[in-house]
Amino acid sequence: MSQRKRPHNAPSSQSKGARNSMVLLADEDDDVSYTQPSTSQVQKGLDRLTPAQVDLKTAEVVQFIFVKDQKKIPIRRADIVKHVVKEYRNIYPEILKRTSRTFETVFGLSLKEIDSKNHVYILVNKLDPPDGELLSMTPSNPKTGLLFVILGIIFMKGGVVKESMVWNTLKKLRVDPGEKHVDFGDVKKVVIEEFVKQRYLEHVRVPHTEPLEFEFRWGQRADIEVSKVKLLEFMGQLHDQDPQSWSQQYREATTPQASTAPSGPVSQR
Amino acid sequence: MRRASRGVGDDQGTARQNGVSAGRGGRGMEGDDDEVLCTAVDMQDDDNDPTRRREIRSKYRDLINSVQQNREDMLSPTNNKLTDVLEEANKLFAEVRQAREAALDAQLLVLATDLGKEKASQLHAEGSSFDPSAFAENLLSFMGLNRLEDEGEMSGGYLPQDAWQKVGNRAQCCFRTAPTFHYMLGSFLAEPPPPRQRIARQRNAPSKEAKRIMPTQLKKMEESHQEATEKEVERILGYLRSYFADDPNSPISYYEFVIDPFSFSRSVENIFHTSFLVRDGLARIYLDEHKLPCIAPIEEGEVEAGGGSTRQQCVISISPKTWKEIIEVFDITEPLIQASATQVDAGTVDPEPQHTD
Repeated sequence: MSQRKRPHNAPSSQSKGARNSMVLLADEDDDVSYTQPSTSQVQKGLDRLTPAQVDLKTAEVVQFIFVKDQKKIPIRRADIVKHVVKEYRNIYPEILKRTSRTFETVFGLSLKEIDSKNHVYILVNKLDPPDGELLSMTPSNPKTGLLFVILGIIFMKGGVVKESMVWNTLKKLRVDPGEKHVDFGDVKKVVIEEFVKQRYLEHVRVPHTEPLEFEFRWGQRADIEVSKVKLLEFMGQLHDQDPQSWSQQYREATTPQASTAPSGPVSQR
Repeated sequence: MRRASRGVGDDQGTARQNGVSAGRGGRGMEGDDDEVLCTAVDMQDDDNDPTRRREIRSKYRDLINSVQQNREDMLSPTNNKLTDVLEEANKLFAEVRQAREAALDAQLLVLATDLGKEKASQLHAEGSSFDPSAFAENLLSFMGLNRLEDEGEMSGGYLPQDAWQKVGNRAQCCFRTAPTFHYMLGSFLAEPPPPRQRIARQRNAPSKEAKRIMPTQLKKMEESHQEATEKEVERILGYLRSYFADDPNSPISYYEFVIDPFSFSRSVENIFHTSFLVRDGLARIYLDEHKLPCIAPIEEGEVEAGGGSTRQQCVISISPKTWKEIIEVFDITEPLIQASATQVDAGTVDPEPQHTD
């Protein structure tokens, strides 16, 4: 399929060929079907389409991302191209730019690329969450509580904790990873699979350990979505302690770090 | 310590004592005096007492086990369990004589060091430390844990049903999660709907059931089929004998006997069943003066004699066309072998017999 589309993308040239092979190396499986077109190619593609056609395609991408975001699993560019953009792939950068603009201006959301190598996006709320629990419009999920506990431990422990510490703490909270939980079901699966897939958590092997040991860190989505200041405030409330007394954590929470947000809102690249 | 080992003057002792000083380094020096005493006194008798050795090793293993089991508690900055363990180990070490015990001691030391490292990492140079146990306790209070019935340390108290919902509500503001999108009137699920799985499961379950049933069913079928064949063969033998008895002198034409003018398939079945009679030596087929096959039963007495004679086989083929020809040529109007009840029920494609007797 990709073979058929490529000539449509652009007339073949030396530089294009080189870029193709680069993409092949960098991207996973079906992303090969997409090659980043150049600005002039985009312009050429746009000239051939009516504005209405471009708007329609943009709306389709917006809807696709919304539906995909229901599960909070990051959205891959390869999927967007494969399922929605299709024959418009030559103007993909323009469509993504417009999609991003729609999310920002219409919905107050921000489309962020969390993995610039594999081109993976997430949607984040741009608006500050309302203060106080009762003002929240959407009923929260108990899983948010679970996630808070885990992210909280990791953050308070300096960014990385052993898996065993998480399970032990959860056990104290009457959540036994070995048993079915009323709210969470298979807790282990939720934490190690769902949260990791959603990129809230990273679950990695500690090298050179026997038996195997794993540790948890914050995932990219957590870095972008979770406010460390607010988390620390909640911690303070729980411990009846001034958040600033955890000076190290407080400093980390209040100094904006370049690394916490890998990239700004998606712009034309 | 060196002096002690030199005093004893054996190589084993030297090696051990070197191990001692290396292993001891981190644990402080206060135990040294005791050790010198112990090594000097116990050396001779205890060195090779296997029971005593085993006891030491067992104690070490218990200690290692308890450290591994209570790891998280030991990490808590609020207690001195790690120190207790190290003191215990110091006591045990006083009696260590052999490499195996020393290896266990080293193993414990590795654990203790690891714990020490983690404890150290809790002590951030500045600010409060964070204790997950205290965090859990505070969170339980926040969840509305009813501690009235609190008895045990861990499982005491009653946690309300909305405990996690409560945490979720409070924690919600920490997350800048984009609200998820829902169709107001519902939608098709984005993923293959669960019914599909159910179908797959249903398909699986009966197949298991069927597998279990299959063997018995098959057995029955074979049995009944065999029985039916035997019965049919006997029935045909009965017909043959009665026709023969009616007029023993006139030969019975084989074709007239087996052909059913109303049913090709029944004719084939008759041929099939009749062949068993011949095979079992209950009937014989011979050619009359016109070279046409005739069939006659073999009487009980003859069976023995016939059994010895060489038997010939031949294959009879019949097609609907030859079947019709035979009916015409032999002018067959009635089947000599009446269709059995089951055959009539089977309702073959052939026209039903016009009339029965």
